[in-house]
Amino acid sequence: MFYRAAGIRHTRYESDRRLWRLPFDRWLVGAVVLLLLIAPFVVNSLYLGTYMLPWLVWATATLGLNLLMGGAGQVHLGYGAVMAIGAYGSVHLARAGLPFELVLLAAGFLSATIGVVFGAAALRVKGLYLAISTLAMQYLVDFVIVHVPAISGGTQATLQVPKITFFGMRVVSDVDNYYLALFVCALVTLFMLNVRRTSLGRALAAVREKDYAAEIIGVSTFRYKLLAFWVSSFIGGVVGCLFAFCYYKAVTPEQFHLELSIQLLAAVIVGGLGSVLGSFFGAALILLAPVILNNVIGAASRAFSLNVSADIAAHAPLMLYGALIVGFLLFEPLGLAKIYNNVRNYFVVWPFRHARK
Amino acid sequence: MKLNLRQYMAAGAVAAVSTFSSAVMAQEKVVKFGFPQDFTVVYTFVTAEYSQGQRDYLSLVNERGGIRGYKFSAEIVDHGSSVPRGIEAYERFKREGVVLIDPLSTPVARALVPRAMADKMNLIMAYSGRSDAADGTAFPYVMPLSTNYWSQAASLIEYISRQEKGDLKGKRIAFAYIDSGYGREPLPVLQELAKRKGFEFQGFPYTSPGNDQSAVWSNVRRFKPDWSIIWGAGAGQVVSIKEAVRNGIPTDRIASVAWLSESEMNVIGNDAAKGILKLEVVAGGREPKVIADIMKEVVGRGKGAGKAEIVGTTYYNMGVAMATLMVEGVRLALEKNPNAAPTAESVNEGLRSITKFTAEGLLPAVTISKTDHQGGGQSRVAQWDGRRWVARSDWFAADQDIVWQLIKASSEEFKKTGK
Repeated sequence: MFYRAAGIRHTRYESDRRLWRLPFDRWLVGAVVLLLLIAPFVVNSLYLGTYMLPWLVWATATLGLNLLMGGAGQVHLGYGAVMAIGAYGSVHLARAGLPFELVLLAAGFLSATIGVVFGAAALRVKGLYLAISTLAMQYLVDFVIVHVPAISGGTQATLQVPKITFFGMRVVSDVDNYYLALFVCALVTLFMLNVRRTSLGRALAAVREKDYAAEIIGVSTFRYKLLAFWVSSFIGGVVGCLFAFCYYKAVTPEQFHLELSIQLLAAVIVGGLGSVLGSFFGAALILLAPVILNNVIGAASRAFSLNVSADIAAHAPLMLYGALIVGFLLFEPLGLAKIYNNVRNYFVVWPFRHARK
Repeated sequence: MKLNLRQYMAAGAVAAVSTFSSAVMAQEKVVKFGFPQDFTVVYTFVTAEYSQGQRDYLSLVNERGGIRGYKFSAEIVDHGSSVPRGIEAYERFKREGVVLIDPLSTPVARALVPRAMADKMNLIMAYSGRSDAADGTAFPYVMPLSTNYWSQAASLIEYISRQEKGDLKGKRIAFAYIDSGYGREPLPVLQELAKRKGFEFQGFPYTSPGNDQSAVWSNVRRFKPDWSIIWGAGAGQVVSIKEAVRNGIPTDRIASVAWLSESEMNVIGNDAAKGILKLEVVAGGREPKVIADIMKEVVGRGKGAGKAEIVGTTYYNMGVAMATLMVEGVRLALEKNPNAAPTAESVNEGLRSITKFTAEGLLPAVTISKTDHQGGGQSRVAQWDGRRWVARSDWFAADQDIVWQLIKASSEEFKKTGK
C-alpha cells in the first residue's frame, strides 16, 4: 500500500539497475536529503552542532571502514590511526598555507599512501591475524605522533586548526561546518552506493567471499586488496581532515586512539556489514546513544528527584548502552540495516502478507 | 532515518524536562557552574572525590545564604573523557547559562580551548590540560588556577636540593613517568635544572596505563638513584611505588607528583610505603578551616554529597579548593557589579582579580591576574606516615623563571598559529 510496487515493470536494464527501484524509496530518500539540507534552519543549534554534525562525520568514517570490512572483507583495527594521519597532515598543510580544497584531497592521499603500506599485511594474513597487524598500525601511528613534537605540536601536544575557506566561502559557524561535512558525506555516500555496481565493487566482493577463488577467475587479489585499503584509507584521511576542521578545531593525539577505531568497528558491525544505510544507523547508535542515555537518565533522576549516587548515575547509562548493543545484535545479528530492511519488506506488501516473495 | 527520529524525540524530551526544571530554578537567583567530568573511564581515580568536594563546598556556601543573595548550583554530567561527549556537554551548559565549565580531563579541556576562547566562556583547567594557559594574555578565558606540572617538577627538585643542603652536584635523580603527554611534560624543566644544578638525571618511561613496570624499575635500580621522582596517575602510581619498594629503593627518597592520595596508599598497604613524599598543591586533611566547616555545617547535617570518610582526602580537598576559587571569582564579580547577575565575562574579570586568596588555609596565597592564570605556582611537600599525609615544608615556589620561559615559548606559538 505504501510502496505501491504493483504495476511497476522494469523493461529496460537501466531502470532495473537503478539505485532505488520503487518511487516510494526515491521520495523517501529525497525527503531525507531535504531534511538534512534544511536542518540548520529547523534544528536547535545545540543539536545541529553536537549531534548532527558529529553524526555526519562519524557516519562518513564508518562508510570508509565499511568499504574495507563489508565490501572487501578485510578487518581493520587501526582506522583511527588512518584518520589521525589525515587530521595531522591536513592541519600541517593548512598551516603551511595550502588552500583547503587541496588540503582535503592531500589528507586523503597521505592517509592512502601510508594506509596501503599497512594494508600490505593483508596480502599475507587474514582474519584475526590481520586484525592484529592493523592494530599494530594503530599503536605505531599513535607512538610516532606522540613522540615527534614536530607532528603533535610541541610540549602541549595540541594543534589549533587555522580558519579556512571552501571554494571562496568562509567556514566559521557550526552551520558552515555542517554543510561542509554534509557535502563530503554526500560524495562518499554516492560513491559507496555506486561502488558495488562497478567492476571494482564486484572484484572486492569476489575477494571478500574467497580470495583464491577470486584469483582463479582472474581477479588479482594482490591488486584489489591493496586497492581496497587505498580507497578506504583515502576516505579515512578525508574524514580525519573533517574531524579536525569541522568538529574538533584542535587536534590532540587522544582523539584518534584505539577507542575511536573500536567505535568505528562497532558502528560497522552494529549498523550492518556492507550496508550504506547501516553505516548511518551504526554511527548514530555508537556515537549518540551514550550521550542521549546519559541525558535522559540524568533528567529522569532530577525530574523524579531520585536520590541515586553519582557513581550509579554515571554508570547506569553505560550498562544500558551495552545492553542496547547486545540487544540489537541478538535481535538481528545482521545489524540495524537489516532491521530496517525487515520492516521495509513487511510494508512493501502490506497488507497482503501472502504476496511476499 | 527511523532511529534518528526516535533519538531526536528522546533528545527533545530531555530538553523539555531540563527547561522545565530550569524554569523552577529560575525562581531564585542562581549562579550555575558546569561540571562535565569523567566519572567512568580515565579519571575515575579522582573524579568522584573531586566532585564531592566541589558540591560540598557549594552546599556550604548555599547553607550560609550564598553570596549577595545568589545561590550556586552544580550542573554535573559524565563525559567519560570522550571529546564528543565533552563538546556536547559544553555546548549544552553554555546554553543553560553557566558562568564557567570545569571538565577535569586533559583531552576534553584541550579540545574545548578554541570554543571557550571564541565563546568567552571560562574554561577551568585545574590540575590538567595545557600548562601554557598560565599565560593569561594568550588564553584570556582558560583558567588553570592551579600550580602547573612544570612548577610541580621545579618544586620537587627544589625540595630535594634543600634535603641535600643545596648541593645537587653529582647526585643521581631518576624520573619514572608514564609515557604520555602528561608524563613527558616536566622533561624540559628537569633537563634544564639538571644543567643548572649539576645533577645527573635520567628518565624512565613506562607505557600507559602502567600496569606493568617491572622492567622499568629494575633499570631504575641499576641507575642507583639518590632520589626518584614518580610521575603517573591512578593505578600507575600504585604499581610504581610497589615496584620501587620491591627493588629496594628507600621510600623516603621517592617523591611523587601531586596525583597521589590516601586511596592509592590504601591499595599499596598503609604501612608498605611509609615515608613516601609527594607534592601537595592543596592542603590535605580535615584541619583546614573550610573542611572543618564542611564537616560541621554540611556533612554533620546530613547534606554531604557522598561518604563522610572521603571528606579531607587529597582529591576531595582539591575539589573544595577549586570551588573556593570559583566562588571567590563570582564574589569579586558581584563586588564590581552588584546589580547585574554574574555572567561568564564578569566572572572572568572576577577570577582574574583574585588576590592573595588562601581559602582560610586550604591553599597557598593565590594571586590570579590578567597575565598570570597559574596563581604563583606554589606547593609544598608532604610525607606519608602510614595513616595520613603530613606536611614537611611550607608553601614555596621554585625556579619560576624556567617555568615562565616554557609557558611563554608555548603560548607565543599558540598566539601565532591559533588564529
